[in-house]
Amino acid sequence: MILAGIVTVRGEFIALALPFVVYLLAGFLRSPDEIKLEATRHLSNERASPNSDIVVTVTVMNRGSHLEEVLLEDVVPVDLSLRVGLSRHLLTLPKGASYTFTYTVSGPRGGYGFENISAKVNDHLAVTSRRVQIEAKGQLFVFPPVMRLRRVAIRPRRTRVYAGSIPARAGGTGMEFFGVREYQPGDPPRTINWRASARHEELMYSNEFQQERVADVGIVLDGRLRTNQFAHGYSLFEYSVQAAAAMADALLTQGNRVGLLVYASFLRWTLPGYGKVQRERILHTLAHAQPGGSEVFSDLEHLPTRLFPSESQIVLVSPLTEDDLTPLVQMRAQGYQVLVVSPNSVNFELSYLPKDQYAELAGRVVRMERTLLLHKVQRAGIQVLDWDVTEPFDLVVKRKLSRPPAWLRAVGR
Amino acid sequence: MLQPPSLAKHPAGGEDAAESRIIMTIVAMVLSILLGTGSLVIGYSQADFTDPVRWFVLLGLGWLLAHWQKWYWFSPIALFVTIIAAGYGVWREFSTVWMILGALGGLLGWDLSDFARRLSYAAPTDDVQGMQRRHLERAGIVAVLGLGLALLSVYIHITRLAFEVAVGLILLAALGLTRLVMGLRKY
Repeated sequence: MILAGIVTVRGEFIALALPFVVYLLAGFLRSPDEIKLEATRHLSNERASPNSDIVVTVTVMNRGSHLEEVLLEDVVPVDLSLRVGLSRHLLTLPKGASYTFTYTVSGPRGGYGFENISAKVNDHLAVTSRRVQIEAKGQLFVFPPVMRLRRVAIRPRRTRVYAGSIPARAGGTGMEFFGVREYQPGDPPRTINWRASARHEELMYSNEFQQERVADVGIVLDGRLRTNQFAHGYSLFEYSVQAAAAMADALLTQGNRVGLLVYASFLRWTLPGYGKVQRERILHTLAHAQPGGSEVFSDLEHLPTRLFPSESQIVLVSPLTEDDLTPLVQMRAQGYQVLVVSPNSVNFELSYLPKDQYAELAGRVVRMERTLLLHKVQRAGIQVLDWDVTEPFDLVVKRKLSRPPAWLRAVGR
Repeated sequence: MLQPPSLAKHPAGGEDAAESRIIMTIVAMVLSILLGTGSLVIGYSQADFTDPVRWFVLLGLGWLLAHWQKWYWFSPIALFVTIIAAGYGVWREFSTVWMILGALGGLLGWDLSDFARRLSYAAPTDDVQGMQRRHLERAGIVAVLGLGLALLSVYIHITRLAFEVAVGLILLAALGLTRLVMGLRKY
């Protein structure tokens, strides 16, 4: 307009431009000189269970000049949902003032990182606008629910030297009867086997009990898409994660050394360890575990069994497919004691399919296939826990895993 | 995985609640749009140039409809159209005052439409009333100042100095003062 005024030498054009010039000048003149915002973030709980409420409190302090219009927006991780309050606020922030807002989020299992708070600063007419990112980091871990299992009976061939609760296939002090040996001076009188001693005039015999030690346990969580993902986006993976968490917790509570391998689009290995710290490590890994597909890890043939100590216990949590039989048999042949916890994929898939004759017929066929597969696995000397996910996992474990099966109790298997 | 800051309207409170909180701005915006398009209508009508008049009426109605429908992209286009229309009117030597009022109405309509959009991002607990009051005061002052200067430039003729030169000098002075003030405020 000014240009038109100058070109045409007519003052009216410049008169027309004057309100705009005043508007722009007023905006530029009042634009904030220095934007210096600082923020702190506080989470009511950094460890949470799925879909529980977490209160996020954010305080933004203005260390710079007066800010007439600030749009603060906390960048909430995508899978978290706002339950109460809002993460975006429009306000005036005078120099030296601070502003605190809170909101409540919840979300599914996962690890969530809160990074920055976005601030869009305008002058009072929004002629100038600047966007700044204020660093206010925070972390939230939503762990899978951990069911308390009373006892998981495992019998690996090899145990560690420390006392624990796993029968060690060696005589010594313990609870379970192991054998009878000749009495040695120092044996407690209550260990003397009087019946055996009565049959011999010169010798006495003592009962020997099976030593109980801790064991090495490797938990393998199968996160392959082809075994976990079903039609209509349904997935068994969350059940597998819950089972892995419960097993890890129970085995660590028994004093064992437990490691975790997540076998999905890539391998995620948590080194074996003991106790509560290891429990935390495993829960962190499980919080981040996601199912994934990969050409390399599409079947269990590339499972790096050498990560686990020889003759140790491997717990595979997997819905299983036909192709998994051979790798499992190989694992068993290598000397590992294998326990397969298998969420029942057939019952799971049938539970949401229409109840018609076709689905019923197909269900019978795949159920037979699965039963056959599990039989083959069991015949290879592998313990199988077929878990119908409609049943609570702890009840199934209590019923089927609180005592080792009879064939496994025999020494030397 | 982080989601980018989205500028969708807050879910809480509902649209009606959000609109009722910014009623002052909405009223001012409607009046500004009416002022802008109405002035253009009057200015063009006075010059017996009636063909575009119905388009200005449609522009005003369309602008209001666009705001109601949250078509925020319409507002800058409407501002551009009013400026072009006012400039054309000045070029055709229609009443300058109506043209200035038309452009000023367009400017205020655009400003308040954008402000209403920004206010829609506010949370229910934010001080929207205070922000509205302050913004309307400042926009009003700027409008009065701009209009006053524009009218002065129309009615006051300096015989010894060409008006264009005077305006150029004023702009230069304003620019210089702005730079000076901004420089001083850094210390």
